Amino acid sequence: MRFMIIIKATPESEAGGTPDQALLEEMGRFNEELVANGIMLVGEGLQSSSKGARVHFKGTDRTVIDGPFAETKELIAGFWIWQCKSLDEAIAWVKRCPNPFNEESEIEIRQIFELEDFGPELTPELRESEERIRAELSPKPN
Amino acid sequence: MRFMMLMIPKGYESAEPGAMPTAEAVAAMMRYNESLKKAGVLLSLDGLHPPSMGARVTFPNGKPVVTDGPFAEVKEVLGGYWMIQVRSREEAIEWAKRCPAGPNETIEIRQVQELADFPKDVQKQLDGFTEMQPHLTRGKAS
Repeated sequence: MRFMIIIKATPESEAGGTPDQALLEEMGRFNEELVANGIMLVGEGLQSSSKGARVHFKGTDRTVIDGPFAETKELIAGFWIWQCKSLDEAIAWVKRCPNPFNEESEIEIRQIFELEDFGPELTPELRESEERIRAELSPKPN
Repeated sequence: MRFMMLMIPKGYESAEPGAMPTAEAVAAMMRYNESLKKAGVLLSLDGLHPPSMGARVTFPNGKPVVTDGPFAEVKEVLGGYWMIQVRSREEAIEWAKRCPAGPNETIEIRQVQELADFPKDVQKQLDGFTEMQPHLTRGKAS
């Protein structure tokens, strides 16, 4: 099972600062442990929402709203994709994560949809199309 | 530049465990995914099970506290994401506008942090982190 581990934004992350050396070292050790145990597939950080935008959909209307966005606690600062045997295993790993910021913070754990999670709604044609797209995607940029 | 397009579907914050998109919605989204792939901008994509199947970990006083989903008082949650490679924020917004999203859905566009975005001393700390990922992605592709 794959999980998306979402690091929620804080006032610090939204201010666009970079982590201090002690936290980077601690996080580096945690990442190495995740790798050594075959847990981590992907990890990325996002720039603050002030550099982003939102597109809102209503019928055929598209409204573009420039960042920053007010609800800091609902925003995302970064994420990992992990391969775990269960939600409990993912939670156990998150509990060992160093606090990602030098202030109160939150990490959300969400299970990723796999092809086998879909029933007959996913027709053989759609399934094939989805598999083809994934097979052709390059593993990483550069 | 890499951008994340974050799908925020209104109402998903209270979706029941096991809730699935309709076949119609999946088919429309697959056509959109194909167009992203054909244009060479799509790097990866995933959909997330509802938050009622997930958990949150907070770190008050440095100790992890686990809360099972669904999460009360949460106004918006992530339903899925696309990682795209484009030349500008404007191009990312243009792609988001073409998504066959439903009424009251919002796509948030956020730039992904690249190594070059960090100060030199921080880059040094992050060196190993970027190297470990392509290797992992190839080895664990599911």
